Amino acid sequence: MKRGGNPKKRPPPSHTPPAGKHRATGNPTPSPVIGTLEDEFVDEDVFMDESLVLGEEDEESLILRDMEEREAVSTRSSTWARPPLSPAYLSNSEIYQQLEIDYVLKESNKELLPGSSGQAAVIRIFGVTREGHSVCCFVHGFEPYFYIPCPPGMGPDDISHFHQILEGKMKESNKNFSVPKCVRHIEMVQKRSIMYYQQQKSQTFLKITVALPTMVATCRGILDKGIQLHGLGMKSFQTYESNIVFALRFMVDRDIVGGNWIEVPAGKYKKNARTFTYCQLEFNCLYSDLISHAAEGEYSKMAPFRVLSFDIECAGRKGHFPEAKHDPVIQIANLVTLQGEDQPFVRNVMTLKSCAPIVGVDVMSFEAEREVLLAWRDFIRDVDPDIIIGYNICKFDLPYLIERAATLGIEDFPLFGRVKNSRVQVKDSRQQGTRESKETTIEGRFQFDLFQAILRDYKLSSYSLNSVSAHFLSEQKEDVHHSIITDLQNGNAETRRRLAVYCLKDAYLPQRLLDKLMYIYNYVEMARVTGVPISFLLARGQSIKVLSQLLRKAKQKNLVLPNAKQSGSEQGSYEGATVLEARTGFYEKPIATLDFASLYPSIMMAYNLCYCTLVTPEDVRKLNLPPEQIHKTPSGETFPIKLEFEKVYFPYLLINKKRYAGLLWTNPQKFDKMDTKGIETVRRDNCLLVKNLVTESLHKILIDRDVPGAAEYVKNTISDLLMNRIDLSLLVITKGLTKTGDDYEVKSAHGELAERMRKRDPATAPNVGDRVPYVIIKAAKGAKAYERSEDPIYVLENNIPIDPNYYLENQISKQGTSPWKSHEVNINSYSFKQRHYEICQETTELCWLQSFDQVHHGHLPLNGTLCSRCKGREAELYCKNVSQVSDLEELFGRLWTQCQECQGSLHQDVLCTSRDCPIFYRRMKAQKDMAVAKQQLDRWSF
Amino acid sequence: MEIDSEKIHERKQSDYNNLQDERFEIQKEMYRGQQYSQIYFARLHLMRTLLYSLAPTWKPHLPVCKVLGLEEGKECILVGTLFKHMKLKPCVLDEYSKERSVTPLVKPHNFMHPDDNLILEDESGRVKLGGSALSPAIYVTGVVVALHGKETSAGEFVVEDVLEAGLPPQIERPLNLQEDKYVVLLSGLCIGSSSSNPLQFQLLVDHINGYLGDEKVHALAAQIVHVVIAGNSVEFPRKLFNGQNLASKDQSTLYEPIKELDIMLNQIAAGVSIDIMPGLNDPANFALPQQPLNRCLFPGSAPYNTFRSCTNPHSFDVDNIRFLGTSGQNIDDLDKYSEAESKLDFVERTLRWRHLAPTAPNTLGCYPFTDRDPFLIETCPHVYFVGNQDKYDTRLLKGSEGQLVRLICVPKFCETGTAVAVNLRNLECHTLSFSTQMN
Repeated sequence: MKRGGNPKKRPPPSHTPPAGKHRATGNPTPSPVIGTLEDEFVDEDVFMDESLVLGEEDEESLILRDMEEREAVSTRSSTWARPPLSPAYLSNSEIYQQLEIDYVLKESNKELLPGSSGQAAVIRIFGVTREGHSVCCFVHGFEPYFYIPCPPGMGPDDISHFHQILEGKMKESNKNFSVPKCVRHIEMVQKRSIMYYQQQKSQTFLKITVALPTMVATCRGILDKGIQLHGLGMKSFQTYESNIVFALRFMVDRDIVGGNWIEVPAGKYKKNARTFTYCQLEFNCLYSDLISHAAEGEYSKMAPFRVLSFDIECAGRKGHFPEAKHDPVIQIANLVTLQGEDQPFVRNVMTLKSCAPIVGVDVMSFEAEREVLLAWRDFIRDVDPDIIIGYNICKFDLPYLIERAATLGIEDFPLFGRVKNSRVQVKDSRQQGTRESKETTIEGRFQFDLFQAILRDYKLSSYSLNSVSAHFLSEQKEDVHHSIITDLQNGNAETRRRLAVYCLKDAYLPQRLLDKLMYIYNYVEMARVTGVPISFLLARGQSIKVLSQLLRKAKQKNLVLPNAKQSGSEQGSYEGATVLEARTGFYEKPIATLDFASLYPSIMMAYNLCYCTLVTPEDVRKLNLPPEQIHKTPSGETFPIKLEFEKVYFPYLLINKKRYAGLLWTNPQKFDKMDTKGIETVRRDNCLLVKNLVTESLHKILIDRDVPGAAEYVKNTISDLLMNRIDLSLLVITKGLTKTGDDYEVKSAHGELAERMRKRDPATAPNVGDRVPYVIIKAAKGAKAYERSEDPIYVLENNIPIDPNYYLENQISKQGTSPWKSHEVNINSYSFKQRHYEICQETTELCWLQSFDQVHHGHLPLNGTLCSRCKGREAELYCKNVSQVSDLEELFGRLWTQCQECQGSLHQDVLCTSRDCPIFYRRMKAQKDMAVAKQQLDRWSF
Repeated sequence: MEIDSEKIHERKQSDYNNLQDERFEIQKEMYRGQQYSQIYFARLHLMRTLLYSLAPTWKPHLPVCKVLGLEEGKECILVGTLFKHMKLKPCVLDEYSKERSVTPLVKPHNFMHPDDNLILEDESGRVKLGGSALSPAIYVTGVVVALHGKETSAGEFVVEDVLEAGLPPQIERPLNLQEDKYVVLLSGLCIGSSSSNPLQFQLLVDHINGYLGDEKVHALAAQIVHVVIAGNSVEFPRKLFNGQNLASKDQSTLYEPIKELDIMLNQIAAGVSIDIMPGLNDPANFALPQQPLNRCLFPGSAPYNTFRSCTNPHSFDVDNIRFLGTSGQNIDDLDKYSEAESKLDFVERTLRWRHLAPTAPNTLGCYPFTDRDPFLIETCPHVYFVGNQDKYDTRLLKGSEGQLVRLICVPKFCETGTAVAVNLRNLECHTLSFSTQMN
């Protein structure tokens, strides 16, 4: 075994190799080797032992081992599988918690629905029983429908005529409908529209039931345009509830809410002779036989869902982000956890090429990429996860796997959904703004991408897995740059093991985030409250949740919802609420804060505002309503609104109407927290210095009540900045690279930098989608800001001075002026003076040093003597020098041991290059500074 | 005059060498981007060789494994570096990344927590340790041990027994020493701090030089053949060094303690050989091994050939009695991250682990050595001392192979006025206490 591509150099130990091992292999014990050995030699020596052990085994044992391995694979999959079904299952009621509801088009089931023919929409409900069996239930007999108001003059006898005309029009619009009858039936019902004040209790509506869900839209189109009716002429219709997703329609009608428990009574379901899915239980039933349990008592619990968290690693080419067309998938790490348990019960990693074992993890190595992918597919089928989670899996991992398999021509790969013979497909969609997004549908398995969820629910300065876990789990993640991944893969079993550990951690973190943020509970409960399927919560917006609740209430009240024609721009914009001019200042007296008790609901209740109390101007005239009986909005009247005492701010710093800070008290003993609004400390295009400055001075002003102290702090920070004493990592600004440099119309600091870095080293240069960290450096006068951006690492390595003025003017002054201005710390006048003074100092020192450089050597001895100016000050100058070294040594030790701790290994070199890590630049800087300081100190040993 | 009538005591002579210190010197080594993994690797490799050689006598029937080769349920011996996972361990990340909390961080004296657990690591991997045989309260990160146990289904290695390297072999102690000769150990002079009393130190110096007391005392003083100052001789506010140039007034006050120290050392060096070791507060580097205080700090004493500025840790032989000592950082760090009834227990543990500073580099600053670990104790000293402790304490430790070691906690002189004298003849020791009272 050669340790060929191992980038790590191990120290040659100065003593004998382990003697015990040698004896065990029957080798003569080597005589002690004194001095140092070639490190390669020692490494091989250690490995040779293992290969010798292997070599001495006879073939018989090898065969035995092979058998054992095969056995291991089969035991593996048996531990993966779901608990076996007990025979009792086939006679009892089936009760299960559903996770996903959708529909498929199938031939209608003749057994359940005698007399039906042609295609029908069959509702498909996936879920899990209390015992952990997977279930798929096909629900038959539910048909899509919508309403139109019954035209005046149309009686029950006219319906068949209307039906015929509509049927004809439908057939005309689409000849491909493979059903005998498009419009199944039309019936007259008594309903009331939710819109507008109406005097009569109800009016007649026509409920039009069509054969397939897609026909609703077709039919709506026809009715919108208008049809020629006998005796009524050309008539167009306002449709009601014609824009409702079929699955949601079904859920509303059967009182099913997202994630609740469903029961199919014994005897009411039929098993399929030939199953369509990989679920353990699969059956058909009539929609009317379903029992939906409200989420109460026993039914508020969670079924033991299987949650798979996974992550893939790809070996990218130098300078490119991995692309499925070229770059292989080299590792896939999987963790499977039962919902409600805190430890995963399956931990494995599939690797391309051998990989050294990992304690507590099942390592499966394969020689071909094809085998890795197929092993993963088989694994998914065996484990049968209900929920698939990961970090950015929807946009990266899943599409990558599918595209990679397509590139390799593995046709059977995308068969890991729950439905037999149904391929997992990737759709490109550009629904959310300009972001390109890919959607992968895995039938029957709910995908939960933690990246999307956190992006949606939390405002953070960075959404990398590293900084998200640092934020929520208080843990730094080791970040291996994708250019190193390929090196690790091309190394040996040990380096691939290193990679596997990293990959596993990436798979584990999403699971921990899921648990920590209680996402399963929160989303299931949200689905239960709003009544939409869980998958809607991530994939769709807010209005579907409102619609679902409206529909449910309307159904109770016998109301129907009109299909409101809405096109945002036509509705015009509304004027926002009036905000009074703020009386800015620093208040050192308690300020009570009052709040409207439920502002919108109380206005609605007070004024009886509702869809159904809205009176059209036409009706006002018609009904002769006197003005005092109606309200016009906005009224300008005094509101009958209850104000409630909310909290007290003390002290309170009001900068302007949208920016303030104060200590928040809700009890007289102790303040709750510091509350700030609009003081942007989380904006990413600010450097950390600004954030720290704002936080710290607010802390001083509000909590310590030390206004002069805050001013002093600001002064010191600015002085440190001007004197170049600020840690570089505090000055790093990051921006996302959305396109390559040439595509930016306006030159940007980060875009230009990315281009420059690409010219230096294409392998480590940022790619589109990466975040680019940069600092602003000093440059010739008149240089544009975008020309002065530079890679912090490059700055560290080349001792490039940063530009303090940029930070002062563009970062600190912009952000911070206001809080200090309000109590007369005039930052600008101060900073001007101070800056003048400091820069003078700095330059004089610099000039002085330069001019005396030959003699003076910067207060350091040269060839054993100090310059004449410094003679006699040896002790003092040495103390100063050694104390700097001492501080650096302390920092060096703490930083590098922290990184060891983070990566979870003492004996391996730290590889992490996570630029989100708060100590990354410090660590690099400490290493460099240390080398310089040590050399300087060495000049004193004479 | 009376002086003429007194007997003149001549100071006894002794052989001295500090060749052992060579391994603590950092000469050619440079910071070239190396990391700490290499010192751990060197440590593990050397200790493993040793422990492997002990394993067959310890548990003859058991196979020796690596973490990688562990099999569930199979009993074996594992050798590796311990890592203690500590909940309360201060983390440098917190200082940089956490939002400022309303309550200031308190710095506890000890970072132990009941949830702390141990992990064993070798170059192949890590395994969590379980069982009650190995107490997390005693062990610290960086110790290399052999463990007997087996892996459970949960991937934990349940430890049944622990083997430490034990006391290293000792060079034979010369038994032909006829006369009492003393080596005086002191530490923590802290000149320049408020607690330092210049008169106390002057009394000690006068005693060493035989200026105090009657003839009996003089006779005793004459038996002192060597003096060691184990760190923290001066104290000054560190922050004075950072930042701008000092005003000339500050410069002189800063230099004052060192000047004073130089004057005192000058007096000692005139009469007896003296070693000075750097400590945490001295103007020396921070990371262990601390390099000798620069001679330019001692223009008065440095010209004496009896004056030696040494490393910390420091090892030397006087009349073939081997001394090994530190200025206390190694033991103070163990006190923060583990527990013991007395400081001497920590001292004893480091000997049994054969490692002077196991917590370096993890929590104790240390130079990133690339090919060696100078803190390994290869030879058992006869006297093992630790400076800057709160109180004087000593014990005689007997090893299984007949090793005899005098362990000494040397107290801070500025607080106790106490120095320790060790008799080379029999390794017995007593204190020299000085007090001054002003009314």
